[in-house]
Amino acid sequence: MSDQLKAFTRADGRWGLRNHVLILPLHSALSATARKIADESDGAVAVSHDWSGEVDADFNRIIKTFSGFAANPNNYATVFITIGTPGELLIIDTAKKLGINKAEVLNVAELGSMGKIANAGLRIANSLLKEVKTQTRISAPWSALALGQECGGSDALSGITANPALGVASDRLVELGSASVLGETTEILGAEHLLAARAITPEIGAQIIETVARYERSINYEGIDMRGAQPSRGNIEGGLTTLEEKSLGAAKKAGNAQFSGVLEYADQVPRSGLYFMDTPGHDTEQLTGFAAAGINIVVFTTGRGTPTGSAIMPTIKVATNTTMATAIPDLIDLNAGTIADGVKTLSEVGGELFDLILAVANGQITKAERGLHHEFSLSRMYNTVIK
Amino acid sequence: MSMRGFDHGNRGIGVRDHQLILPSVVCSTRVSSRIAKEIGAITFAHQHGCGFIGNDVGRITDYFAALANHPNVSSTLVVGLGCETIQGNELADKLLAKNKSTNYLVTQESGGVQGTVDTGVAAAKALRDFYQPTEVVLPRLHLGIDLSNDDLKVYEIVSALTNVGVDISVAATHKNSGLNFSDLMEAGVHVILSFPDGNQPASGFPLIPTINVASDSPLHLALSDDFDLSAGATSEEIMEKIYSVINGELTKVEAIGAGEIIAGREVRSV
Repeated sequence: MSDQLKAFTRADGRWGLRNHVLILPLHSALSATARKIADESDGAVAVSHDWSGEVDADFNRIIKTFSGFAANPNNYATVFITIGTPGELLIIDTAKKLGINKAEVLNVAELGSMGKIANAGLRIANSLLKEVKTQTRISAPWSALALGQECGGSDALSGITANPALGVASDRLVELGSASVLGETTEILGAEHLLAARAITPEIGAQIIETVARYERSINYEGIDMRGAQPSRGNIEGGLTTLEEKSLGAAKKAGNAQFSGVLEYADQVPRSGLYFMDTPGHDTEQLTGFAAAGINIVVFTTGRGTPTGSAIMPTIKVATNTTMATAIPDLIDLNAGTIADGVKTLSEVGGELFDLILAVANGQITKAERGLHHEFSLSRMYNTVIK
Repeated sequence: MSMRGFDHGNRGIGVRDHQLILPSVVCSTRVSSRIAKEIGAITFAHQHGCGFIGNDVGRITDYFAALANHPNVSSTLVVGLGCETIQGNELADKLLAKNKSTNYLVTQESGGVQGTVDTGVAAAKALRDFYQPTEVVLPRLHLGIDLSNDDLKVYEIVSALTNVGVDISVAATHKNSGLNFSDLMEAGVHVILSFPDGNQPASGFPLIPTINVASDSPLHLALSDDFDLSAGATSEEIMEKIYSVINGELTKVEAIGAGEIIAGREVRSV
């Protein structure tokens, strides 16, 4: 048990670092009603999306994403809004099996209209929010914390300042018994051999190599050159030259700890250890996959600056350079540019970031949370144009 | 019957006077929604704009351009982040070539979230003040029909409306109304008449009034309050509703502000 970390207990033995009441529409046409409920409530959150129940090649991935997102331990309760199609009911069942803390289901077909759902949803949300106020944090083990590592809008300093600082903090958490997850397969392309060499078994090392190779095959199969999207034009303007350079910098987020395993997109994260998860570099698809995996806090390093957050995971923004951190301060929680400025050492900033992760885990609000940045994206593998 | 229209320059004459705040990337959807809320404009969340490769870059750029150039739009403010695949300034240049009532701004160059909201509200107000609505008579209606559910009445309506000089585009490629709506938006229709699949709820598109006609499926019967017209509506009643919506009556989904955009993609994100 840590005497430093304080969290909320959950019915299934996991821990929440937040106590969200999530309004989750299970059909795109219900998104506006979910937003309305959240906006008018005393602090519930909602997401919008573009899934309308399609049963296609991406069906299992979508079910996994929604059910994991609903069951994330940062949710005190999830209010599902559904029209009751089999796919939607499967999401609710799967979320319950994953260990959702509290579930309420509002069936539009039973209540009769969006207007009635909005009224019923608001009543339920506010009553759940009242319950939330009675909950208190208690001392939690380090395994209560599952950290997601994210970088977006990278620049030439990412691999020198913010990413290695995150690596320092991640190593410390892993040593204490937390889980930490590196994602963004696109952004380790070219650095996979270095990560594989740090796997706890040769099999896991081979899995890391194969995950990247599989990804590369899927893009090559389309007959497309990845350059143009990776590194992005913003990355290039930020001084990055090649995808390999970007990857070598991105991989620094994972510090020096050994990799305990490889996870598929939105697989549930084990309680302790460093993992690699197969996610796209697209920031919100990756963040949504992390949330669906049960990750309850994220550190997001950025060179160009980005407001993106998550409806349910506190997301700490770390700037790679002082120029950007000064120019757009309302996006940035910590400036790691001080390392390049020669003002602070890597281990000092790594220590500051560790302390900030702990403070945010214990309830300190991030800039993205304060700004209500609740972006959400579904990651799809297949063509949605031809049905 | 007379039809109310709004003259939107090179976009054409529309049946609504919507100011559009267009986030060119998912990362700027929140900033866009804050700007839109403050000035009463239209915006929507989406998950596009970055991590694209292949045909999707051109496909989504064209899709955004079609949204911004839609006849129901009075002016467009493009809001970008800065480092994304689809660059807001290039999109805005493309839009400006057709319509001067376009402006753009980028969060990474506008002092962050609050700076972008402040600049955006000022820019959107300037656009609104300069491009005041000019009411005219809509000379020719372009009606879109989403035929996710094949309804025999449609043939009667199509023939009656064609006889009175209405242009009609029908989208029946997808069982998913949302993808059909996107096809119809790109065709530039003024109003959508939607016959959703019996297992799908009523839904809409942000810039285009969408009239939902129910089927007699159990779901549609249960959700009858969300539909503009019941399964038993005659083609005369449907046409009457179309004219009434053109002249300002809000559809059910317009009234609750519903409408997500669903844009097709060919390749996974990178």
